[in-house]
Amino acid sequence: MATIIINGVEYPIPEGEKLNAIQMAKRVGVDIPYYCWHPALSVVANCRMCEIEVGAKDPRTGEIKFLPKLVPGCQTPAKDLTVIATDTPKVKEHQRMVMEYLLLNHPLDCPVCDQAGECGLQDYSFHHGQAVHRFVEERAVNPRKEVSSGIQLNADRCIMCTRCVRFTREITHTGELQVMRRGSHAEIDVFPGAPVDNPLAGNVVDICPVGALLDKDFLHKQRAWFLSKHDAVCAGCATGCNVSAEENRGTLWRYKPRHNPHVNDYWICDEGRYSYKAANSPDLLTAMYLKEGEAHRPTPVDQAIKAAGDRLKELAASGGKVAAMLSPFLTVEEAYLFARYIKGLNPANVLVLGPVPVKGEDQTFTPDMTKGRTGDTSFIAPRPFTIRAEKCPNRRGVAAVLQHFEGRVLEFGDLLDQVKAGGVKGLFAVSSAVEPWIDQETADLLRGRLDFIVVEDSILTPLAHQADVVLAGATFAEKAGSYVNALGRLQYSAASLPPRDGSLPDLDLAAILLNHGASPVSSKAILAELAAEIPAFAAARGAQIPEYGIALEGASAGPADAAPPFVDSWFVPQGAARMR
Amino acid sequence: MRADDPCLKQMKPPELSLADRFFLPQIAVGLGVTARHIAGVMFRNKAITVQYPDEKHVPSPVYRGVHRLNRDEKGRVKCVACMLCATACPAHCIDIVGATAPETWPDREKYPESFVIDELRCIYCGMCEEACPVEAIELTGLYDLTGLSREQMIFDKAKLLSVFDATSNQEPMKYGKPPERALGSPTTELAPG
Repeated sequence: MATIIINGVEYPIPEGEKLNAIQMAKRVGVDIPYYCWHPALSVVANCRMCEIEVGAKDPRTGEIKFLPKLVPGCQTPAKDLTVIATDTPKVKEHQRMVMEYLLLNHPLDCPVCDQAGECGLQDYSFHHGQAVHRFVEERAVNPRKEVSSGIQLNADRCIMCTRCVRFTREITHTGELQVMRRGSHAEIDVFPGAPVDNPLAGNVVDICPVGALLDKDFLHKQRAWFLSKHDAVCAGCATGCNVSAEENRGTLWRYKPRHNPHVNDYWICDEGRYSYKAANSPDLLTAMYLKEGEAHRPTPVDQAIKAAGDRLKELAASGGKVAAMLSPFLTVEEAYLFARYIKGLNPANVLVLGPVPVKGEDQTFTPDMTKGRTGDTSFIAPRPFTIRAEKCPNRRGVAAVLQHFEGRVLEFGDLLDQVKAGGVKGLFAVSSAVEPWIDQETADLLRGRLDFIVVEDSILTPLAHQADVVLAGATFAEKAGSYVNALGRLQYSAASLPPRDGSLPDLDLAAILLNHGASPVSSKAILAELAAEIPAFAAARGAQIPEYGIALEGASAGPADAAPPFVDSWFVPQGAARMR
Repeated sequence: MRADDPCLKQMKPPELSLADRFFLPQIAVGLGVTARHIAGVMFRNKAITVQYPDEKHVPSPVYRGVHRLNRDEKGRVKCVACMLCATACPAHCIDIVGATAPETWPDREKYPESFVIDELRCIYCGMCEEACPVEAIELTGLYDLTGLSREQMIFDKAKLLSVFDATSNQEPMKYGKPPERALGSPTTELAPG
């Protein structure tokens, strides 16, 4: 078996993976500091921070010989009989020197810098740097500039790691950013009239190890250490990117990508990045309503739910058929409870899938080993990133639940046909969408032909204006539950905001209607119930969802099905940011 | 630390004499102290109390009273909205809304759009002053803080700057240059701060 010696201890090298010294050392708990290297980008070894002592062990004599000079760890393959030393005085002195060099021109404006608290320069200064500054000349002051309408570049904070440049060349293949001029005059810039406006542009802010590239949407609004991070899943499209939803004082401030090799690798698209704003919208429903005559009266939560439940029960008792529309924005747990409730009232009741929003076409970015790559690519496992046209998180999951209860998946159009045919008496529309999903004409048609309409939603739609009971439900940020993405991977998304006043998360609504017992109801318990009942969810039995989600039966192969690789430390909560 | 640690200095209470154990002589000694103070106040003008509010006590320079927000030499608010005071505050009484500095302030990146201190919640520990990297927030010697309602005791940016204007002559800023123009009359061009 291949072994590597790290700081005098021998470790086995995992089979079938090509790792560099940084990744291998991280696996065994040894940190090698780095700036310019990123696991998805090619190696250029220009920051010199990861330099270590590298040698080889003679297999016959057992003698260890080190190279006379230090070698970048990002460029050093972890292969059999390699010896690396990361804690020798020579390495420590080198790290101290590199830190001093990087800080020569770096402005000391941490108090006003948005990166402070999650900054690589701050963390490594603390661990490897020194408190004194020997440079007596004036620091170079580079101007602030805009590289796109949403991204600001504070060039004097830049340490020239070129991660952003490599990202636009190697991942998006758009190449908007480049290094202008040389030596200490070097600057990151764009050509005039060619801003960084590709659909993944926001990621350059995330991969910047310092506060040079800044997201104007978040600029100067919050400090990183005030934000509580919640492991959520983006509800913007069917890809289901893993995001960290960062909240403070009841407001969602930003989304940051979380690494998931099977889904989104290290990236999220800009559309998803800014989709968090819908959760802060002032237009969200803040009360439940009962229709009295022509007007709607705000009603306490319990009375509204009781009114809806009683009337549906009456309808069922009189033999009337009720249709339930379950939107693809629901979690699988919610869809399961609502389906059970509706089918429990009357087995003849119909379940249909809500309208599935589709915008444009799927857009896939397929980085490979060669295109746009400028450095050493031996440690890269390129993974595609897809922005789906299907702008809802859970069509596949809700469809699987409907398939189980109904035997087939009826579309929203089928519901309209059935309503027109006159077989349906009542409608329970569970939407929980944050964008309008129904037009006035369809709402009028439904109202004209139905005796009773209950709408569960988080915004006001034309149908809500016509409904007999309006239940205020949760937005994507306010509910916890599992989504099945376009590839068939079940992922758990935690709630990042508390429910709004006057609303109730859909899972609780369904549990109360169903008289489910457990209070408060937990999505995990429901997932366990549903996995035991529905064969399509058998893989989630026990409701133990690992960090990267579970591939359900029939899942298509994802971008990476190998063991989870190295996680870039910029994507792990650091320092003070972790404490809250 | 153990009880027999050699670094510990062992102290014993003083032994009581026979007179001490009867207590009566000690009561006489105590009355003597009181009488000495009465005599000091009556005949030698040694009172340590003052006739407030006719006379005002001047606290020591390190006294921690009402906060103020300092101005820089151009009369703008010195604060850069880094929120380190709000982070350091153990009572969570500071609320700051940061914003990008206006175009007319080329030397500044960020400034506080709103800066609010709840003086009722504050415990006057001075941690905000310690944390401030630009010496923008300081605790003054003002101790007679009153208000007719809770709302009046929630100080906003304008009020905190007015505390600076009112106290900067008696208590100059510890660091940095004071504003050049006359205090308390910021012109419209400096309106944001």
